[in-house]
Amino acid sequence: MIAGWLAALIFLVSLWLILSEKLNRTITSMIGAAAIAALGLILSFYSEEEALAAIDFNTIGLLLGMMTLVAMLEPTGFIEFLAVWAGRVSRGHPVRLLVMLGTVTTVFSMFLDNVTTVVLIAPVTILICEILGINPIPYLMAEALLSDTGGVATLVGDPPNVLIASAAGFSFNDFLTHSLPVVLVAWLTALGLLRFLFRKELALKPPNTDAVMKLSPLEALDDWRTARRILIVLALAVLAFFFEEPLHVSPAFIAMTAAAVALVWVRPNIQDTLRRIDWSVLVFFGGLFVMVGGLEAAGVLDLLVDGLERLDSIPPVWLGVIMIWLVAGLSAFVDNVPITIALIPVLEGLGASGMNIEPLWWALVFGAGFGGNGTIIGSTANIVVASLSERTRTPITSALWNKRGLPVMLATCTVASILYALFYPLFE
Amino acid sequence: MLIRDCMKQNVRSVPDTATIRQAAALFVKYHIGMLPVLSSAGGLVGVVGLRDLLTLELPDFFELLPELDFVHDFGAVETTRPTPQQLDQPVVTKMHPATFVLETDGLLKAYALMLKHRLHDLPVVSSSGQLVGVASRVDIGTAILAEWQSVGGESA
Repeated sequence: MIAGWLAALIFLVSLWLILSEKLNRTITSMIGAAAIAALGLILSFYSEEEALAAIDFNTIGLLLGMMTLVAMLEPTGFIEFLAVWAGRVSRGHPVRLLVMLGTVTTVFSMFLDNVTTVVLIAPVTILICEILGINPIPYLMAEALLSDTGGVATLVGDPPNVLIASAAGFSFNDFLTHSLPVVLVAWLTALGLLRFLFRKELALKPPNTDAVMKLSPLEALDDWRTARRILIVLALAVLAFFFEEPLHVSPAFIAMTAAAVALVWVRPNIQDTLRRIDWSVLVFFGGLFVMVGGLEAAGVLDLLVDGLERLDSIPPVWLGVIMIWLVAGLSAFVDNVPITIALIPVLEGLGASGMNIEPLWWALVFGAGFGGNGTIIGSTANIVVASLSERTRTPITSALWNKRGLPVMLATCTVASILYALFYPLFE
Repeated sequence: MLIRDCMKQNVRSVPDTATIRQAAALFVKYHIGMLPVLSSAGGLVGVVGLRDLLTLELPDFFELLPELDFVHDFGAVETTRPTPQQLDQPVVTKMHPATFVLETDGLLKAYALMLKHRLHDLPVVSSSGQLVGVASRVDIGTAILAEWQSVGGESA
């Protein structure tokens, strides 16, 4: 019992440190994991072997594999090429530019890391807007909001999806049949809403459309040979994801194999490639897994699940909708990864007590995914575009985000809730 | 040779109470790349460079782009001007801490500092902290090369 309380205390203190940003999240997860593992050894409820086994290598392998592919694609200029191309095709027409840049960003963030996508596309976006003589804010915000929204569609689109898929046993195809349709409707709603919210900015006719027509996308593409090879490998990996069930392989295996094949084919400077990978995310995940494993071993989750048994009295559809809004509300203010990692064992516990938790997993996917749109700090992509905008004439402020981003979050969550309730049997 | 032997002693500077507009006028009048910012007591409080002021026209997001080959026409960027409000801001908002040398420092130390911080002009101060001169990359570089003349040739 004392073990449970102490483990819970360590977890809560770590969570508070992460959420209040008193200590870097990766450092917190390492010290928290060490503390729970040490407690487990002293009170003998959590062995070193169990702590290691708690790390979900399926999640980490999938992220590492995809990150390696992105790290190789990044220096080729391919993503910049598409952004410049989108600018040209729009012929300087504001609404067309919004749709084109938004679509390019979304398609990439469905398969690649949102942050990398935004980091590469946003500077080109600012450039195009500067050349046109228009305010870049609508485009930058649209990119962050649409990439967060698009990321919800696939298993590999967003880290919470990877975590949930691994815990719930969802395949790549499960996401295509359950999440993608909802995201399509939510994405169109978000785009339409952005068009409306920024109607004033988008109605201004850019003074200088000729200059945009002189942009040369091909000159932004530095290394087509490498880009082509990585895109081929990426396409094969996505194809393999479709067949992960008949092939009996895990997404992590596919992603790591794809990364290895691409490395052999391209043979980049491996130090450069590895430097581009965000190792802090992987270490952060590892630490959180060890902490949650410790909570489980200390019996904390059983206590929690006992307390949650009254949830049985709530109609399941409502429970799911409440879950979407609760998780979204939390994700708007804090990182959705710790929230997801903390909720996974709770849902597993509810499942073990006999509840049908399949629909709740999907509610978690939608809440964690769409919630990040709510505030300027809700997702890393938001933070990135906001900090990039500080290097322009018109920085994005938190107040502006609340006026233009928060409605998008509310609209996408509403769409998700309605579709979830209407088609509830499909999520069971 | 010491830095004080090659520096320019006739130094243009700007008081820390000046506006960006006033500083810009000095850059234009004297055709210079860097202005030391002085307190009312004459102490060096920082420097402001041409680049610092030009970020008002060309925001520094350009540095985030890996290259610019694909941009053939800068369009509206070419004709954008700072707003009157921006020009009436105090110059200290664009100032950065000065990298400086003492008048008794050697030439190579000064040159190394310039390379390290990618500077073109270096303020020179006395031991009491008063600005006594400015040395440019060309002043320092040619002073170093001048000493080569006294190196004896093989055939000599």
